[in-house]
Parts: sequence; C-alpha cells; structure tokens
Amino acid sequence: MQNDLELSVSRRAFVAGSVAATAGPLLGAMPALAQAKTSIAVRIERDITVLDPAFRGGPHDANVIRCVYQRLIKQKDSSVETELDAAAELKQVSPTLIEFTLKPGQMFTDGFGEMTAEDVKFSFERFAVAPVDGKISPYKGDWTGLTGVEVTGTYTGKINLSQPNAGLLAIAIADASGCIVSKKAVMARGVEHNTKPVGSGPYQVVSVEKQRGAVLKRNPTYSGAKPTFEEIKVNFIQDPKTAELALRSGELDFAVLPPSVAEPMRSAQGIVVDQSPGLAYVWLGINMEKPPFTDLRVRQAVRLALDVDQMLLAGFNGKAPRLNTLIMQPILGAWTEAPVYKRNVVEAKKLLAEAGQTAIKTRITILNQPAYQTMALVAQALLKEVGITAELDVQEGGTYWDAGKGEAGKNLDLFMMRFNGKLDPNFLMQWFVSSQIGTWNWQRFNSPEFDRLYQEAIVESDPAKRAAIVIKAQQEMDKSAAFVWLTNDVAFAVRRASVKPAYLPGAIDWQLDRFTSV
Amino acid sequence: MSDTARYLVSRFVTTLLIVLGAMLLLFTLSAIVPGDPATALLGPQATAEYAKRFIAEMGLDQPWYRRLPTFLGHVLTGNLGTDVLSGRPVAGIVGAVLPYTFILTFASIGLAVVIGVPLGCYAATHRGSALDHALAFISVAFIAIPSFVIAIFLLLIFSIWLDWLPVLGAGQPGDWLDQAKRLILPTTALSVGWIGFIARLMRSSMLEVMGENYIRTARAYGLSDRMVTYKYALKNACIPTIAVLGMGIGRLLGGAVLVEIVFARPGLGRLIFDAIATRNFPVLQGAVLVVVLIFVVTNLLVDLSYSAIDPRIRRDGAPQAAGQ
Repeated sequence: MQNDLELSVSRRAFVAGSVAATAGPLLGAMPALAQAKTSIAVRIERDITVLDPAFRGGPHDANVIRCVYQRLIKQKDSSVETELDAAAELKQVSPTLIEFTLKPGQMFTDGFGEMTAEDVKFSFERFAVAPVDGKISPYKGDWTGLTGVEVTGTYTGKINLSQPNAGLLAIAIADASGCIVSKKAVMARGVEHNTKPVGSGPYQVVSVEKQRGAVLKRNPTYSGAKPTFEEIKVNFIQDPKTAELALRSGELDFAVLPPSVAEPMRSAQGIVVDQSPGLAYVWLGINMEKPPFTDLRVRQAVRLALDVDQMLLAGFNGKAPRLNTLIMQPILGAWTEAPVYKRNVVEAKKLLAEAGQTAIKTRITILNQPAYQTMALVAQALLKEVGITAELDVQEGGTYWDAGKGEAGKNLDLFMMRFNGKLDPNFLMQWFVSSQIGTWNWQRFNSPEFDRLYQEAIVESDPAKRAAIVIKAQQEMDKSAAFVWLTNDVAFAVRRASVKPAYLPGAIDWQLDRFTSV
Repeated sequence: MSDTARYLVSRFVTTLLIVLGAMLLLFTLSAIVPGDPATALLGPQATAEYAKRFIAEMGLDQPWYRRLPTFLGHVLTGNLGTDVLSGRPVAGIVGAVLPYTFILTFASIGLAVVIGVPLGCYAATHRGSALDHALAFISVAFIAIPSFVIAIFLLLIFSIWLDWLPVLGAGQPGDWLDQAKRLILPTTALSVGWIGFIARLMRSSMLEVMGENYIRTARAYGLSDRMVTYKYALKNACIPTIAVLGMGIGRLLGGAVLVEIVFARPGLGRLIFDAIATRNFPVLQGAVLVVVLIFVVTNLLVDLSYSAIDPRIRRDGAPQAAGQ
C-alpha cells in the first residue's frame, strides 16, 4: 500500500511536474512575447495624400501627421485636456496675444537641425498670412484672426491675433494645423515634402506608397517620451470587410469599422470592440428657400412626421445615439435641454393643412451608403403617411458633395448629411452661417442672429459665457425647423487584444504615438 | 514596302487613332459628368479661393477641347501631368502601381491557361464522358461566380480557417517570398472565371477542328490519336483562345478593381476607380492612357502571334483556305 501510494504520488507528481515544466516557461513567456511586439498595423480608409500639415487631405493624413510633427501643446492620452509638447511654456497673455517658449534641443529628422521660433512662425503663418508660393492652405479657417508670429528669440515668440479666437488652442495649436514644420525642409523639398515629411515628433515616415499607405519608424532623436512600438504600418484598406478579416487573422491591430462589420466581431477570439459615441453629426436638412419648404409650418410638419429613433434603428441597428441638437457632449455648449421631437402624425397633417399643402412631392438626396439609404427609405415611408411623397435620389460621392453648392443648391429639397466634428463648438457651427449658403449651408439657413452669435462665440474666452452663446445659436437653428438631427454617429474601434489604442472622443483623431501593448 | 512593314505601319496608325479616340471620349465624358473635383478631393475644409486655385492647377478652368491637345502634347514629351493634390507626377503614380497590375494580370491569365487549356482538351477528346459533363457544370459555375465573391471565400478558407495565407496587400518590397504568398489568393480569385471560360472555349474549338478535313486526312495516314490531337488539332484550336486572352489581359489591367479592393492590393484598376470617385482628372487621364496603350499593344502582339501559329492566316487578318 505504501509503495502503491508512493508510486501514485510519484506519478501525480510526475504529471504535475511535467505540466508545470511545460506550462511554466510558456506562461512565463507569454507576457514577454506580448512585450516583444515591436510593430503594429493600423487601417486607414482613405489613401495617404499629403503629409504636410497645411495641405493635408483629411483626418487619415492628420493621424499620421500628428505623430510625425510636434505641436506647442498636444492632447493628453485619450483626453481633450492638453499638455506641453514642443513648448516649455505657453502663456495666454491677453485674448489676442499668446507667448511661447520652445524646449531647446528638439531636432528635425534628416539633418534639418534644431527647431526654433522661426520654424514656428513659418509653420503658422503659411496657412494664410504668409503663404509659400502663394499657396493658401485649405485649413486657413483654423487660424482665424492670426495676424502674425513675432520671433523674439531663438526659442521664444508671440502669436498675435486681430481678434480673440476661443477655439484657437483646440482647433489649431493643439491639432494638426499647429504642427511645426522645418522651414528649411519645406523650402528644400518642395512638393516632395508632401510624402517625405521632416518632423521632430515621436515617429518619422520611412515610406509612403500609393494605395498601400505609410510605414513609420520611431524617431531616435525625439526628445519626448519614447513610443511603445518601433514601427507602425498605416495600411490603406478600402473595404471594411477586408479589414475585419485582417484583424481576425492578426495582420492588422487596429481599425475603426462600421457597426455592421464591427458588431459581429465581439465574439471573435483575441479581438476587442470598443464602442463610443462619435463626434460626427448626421442630420436631415431642409432647403428653406425651396417651395413649399419656405413655409415654416411645412418644415415643422416634416420634423414631426419623422421618427428619428426608427430611422436610427434601421440605419445603425439602434447602436447610434440619438442627436437632438448640433453640439453634443463633451463639446462646450452642448445643449442638453434641446427638445426631443416625437413623431406626431396628427399635428404634422394639421400643420400641412394650415399651410395649404396636402399633397407635397419632394426628393431626398443622399449619399450611396447603406446606412443613409436605409434611413431614407424609412423617412420616405413615414413622410408618405402625412401626405408627402418623397423620391430618393441616391448619388455617388463625387456628385453628391456638389449637390448643394452654387446654383444647383437652390433646387435641393431634403438631404441627409454627415460632417466630422472637432472639440470646439465654432468648428461645428461654421457651416451654418449665411456666408456658407451655396457652399456647405445646404439648408440655406439665413439667420443674422445665428451669424452674430457665431462671431460672438469665437471671441468669448469665458467658457461659461461662451457655452450660453452657443446654446442660443442652437436655439436659432431649432426655431428654423430646417434641421432634423439624427445622430452623432457611433465609433467602433476594433483592436487586437494585445494592443491598447489611444484616440480622442469620436475615434476620428488618433494618437498613434500613445498606442501601447497590453 | 514589304508586307510586314506595311502591316506594322497600318497597325501603328490604328493604335494612334484608338488612343486618340479613347482620350477624346474620356475628355468629353469628364466635361459632362457632374461633380466638382475641388469638392470631391478637398472636402468641406477647402476655402473658395483654394478651390479656385486647385481647379486652375488641374487645368479644369479650360474647356476640354483645349485641354486635350495640351495633354497629348505633354504626353509626347513623356509627361502625363501632375496630381495636383499630392504634387506628384502622374507617371510616377501610375508607374508605382503598374508592376502590381502586370504581375496579377499575367499570373491570373497564366494560371487560367495552364489549367483551362488541358481541361478543355480533355473534355473535347472525351466528349460525352462523365468528366466532360462534370467539367461543363464546373466551368459554367466558375464563369458565373463573380471574382470578388470567390476572393472573399478564399480569404475565409485559406486565411482565416486554415491560416495558410495572408490577407492583405502585395507584400514587403524586396521580399519575394512574401510577395509570392500574397499573390496566390488574388491570382486564384481572378483566374477561376477565366479557367472556366477558356476550358469551354477550348473544348468547342477542339471539337470544331477535329471535324476538319486535314484532321481526317492525318488520321487516314495512320497517325496516332495523340499526335493528331496535340500536334495538329490543338495548335489551330488555340487561335480563338489566344484572341480571347488578348482581350482578357486588357480587361484585367483596368478591371481587377474589386479583387484589388478585397485584397487591399495596389493596382491600376483601383487607381482609376479612386480617380473617378474623387474626380481626380489628371490621374484618371494618365492611368486610362496607359491602360489603352497596353491594351492596344497586347492585342497587336496577339494578332502577330496568329500568323506564327497558323501560316494560313495572312497579315491582313483574312484566313485563307489551305492550299491556296
């Protein structure tokens, strides 16, 4: 018995020992393997176009730009708060004067020397004040009010404004328009600088290939915190389904995907799906200058005829939060008390009868994307019930984005629109001022009061007062009944479990240099 | 002037006319198609002054009938224009994606020939057999299924379930093994339809040729079936297939868009597709011109190959009866 027991124990010990001997090193090695990941791949849905901050092609370029260049200040990890980046000090001396002092020893890559205040002046002024070769930046609006940058020393300077600009820090200085380029490099490289950028940020661009994307390598001369990954492959993958398969196979580590693709991935092994409210805004607009929508009662009837929740259920599987006004949380001036319009067929019909419109024929112009098409179909059915017959005009991007512009815009009836947002209320409001009629104000919303409030919000530096102004402006929009707010979209950030991404609210603006291993 | 020289000159003139016609059509369409390039390319951020400058830099402030001669004049000097958005020369952009397109196109057509021709021959020589019926069914199925559907299934099976092959792109530059691995699935996806098509075409051509007098004569001389089939019948039966391959190469050069998108591979098709979507006319013009040129040259080579295969076919393209 004793021998049997000893033998039995011995066997168990042997098995346990074997398992421990096998699993131990493996388990021990697992964290080491996770740490050993030196390269990650992320997906962008548009091809890299221009990596020069002043002429960037959109958010996809900006995400690379922000980790290649430094700014005076930048957003903290996944936060709207800012911290010093290239600046040792940044001081708002008055509403129209900002002083900065650069940290010494910040070197541009490719031997273009140390960053000085002269580079800051060049970087900011080229947007509009002193364009190089007469090329005014499409992002000129980010620097509204800038009159010039005065260089007061090698590392010091003053940013002078003609009028206060409350959004300057968030929209320009801390964002892609505030990236500091090397004056020497821009002048020496010319258009080549678009794809061979010279920065001083955490990463440098190794290659940019048409239709493939970019490869970034850690910048050894970067003076700030060392990023986790040695290499980031920024892959241009047009098809979300391909991105899904690449994530599943482990070839891709991070992507922002549409709900229909991301949602089923929740159960996939090794994949994490992070869902958060978006920072875009989607709405159904009504052209106020096109009869019969010139009549407020008709616009109000359209608003009451629609069931936003039902449309969102159809378009986004109910995953997208409802939007009731232009400015959403966490942006300053979010109107939390905004009216939530419920469908009221009786009231809608009454309004139409009062307006003498009982059989309206109209058209809803939309982009050829599934979510909009589905929502428009629901809207079509809902409008039919109150006596409005709407046909759908589904257009591809190139045609659609021109539909509300110039003379053509006068013929638009109803349309669905989506704009990307940023963390400043004026950025979101800018498209609805009267000067944008014929450009991006497709509602042809012409409110002198809104225009005045917009200007007032730009120059108001007190956040509480500014928030009150922004809310008033939204009330003006609400009164017009030209906007049926739908959603601020929903962002599905899908990642491999071994990678922790960093991005600002809405997941449009990424902080690639702050991606870490888990 | 010899027949060959006359023939080449006439083909050269035809080529020029085709190119001119294609570009004329493209420029006319670009003037008709709605959509503002500045809006499509720059988005809401672009100021009116920037958009105006952008349009002028693209040359779109000029009518198409002025832009066309300017474009063709630049082409003669090797300048396909400049992508105004990135500032890069269009020739460089096209040149960067062209190798990927060539590799994918020729690999797909090559695979289709290697598999489709023997299958067609076998079906023709074993007419009515179970395998012939099975091949007919499979061939039609292959032709009917769109290549992008096959691409997705291939990815699911070989990349996700079996984990044998990668999903994305064209591989690391300089790493031939990686590039070859990433070529397997797109090539297969594109060639499947062509395998079915070539097999069907080969089968019917072979059956037609096998009924010709010279084949009966060869048999009457006592030549073996193998000799008759593979030496005499196959050579002539290949001619329609070669003609189709010429067209096929042309179609794949610019038409592999969906497969390129599914595998996130660079290529001319995707370049043209994106250029149309964003109304990037300088890139569109340059890329289309290259596709037209390759298409015309490929078909010229195909035409020339007929006479090499079948001496009865004269360079004027008219087949003449044997013995004349």
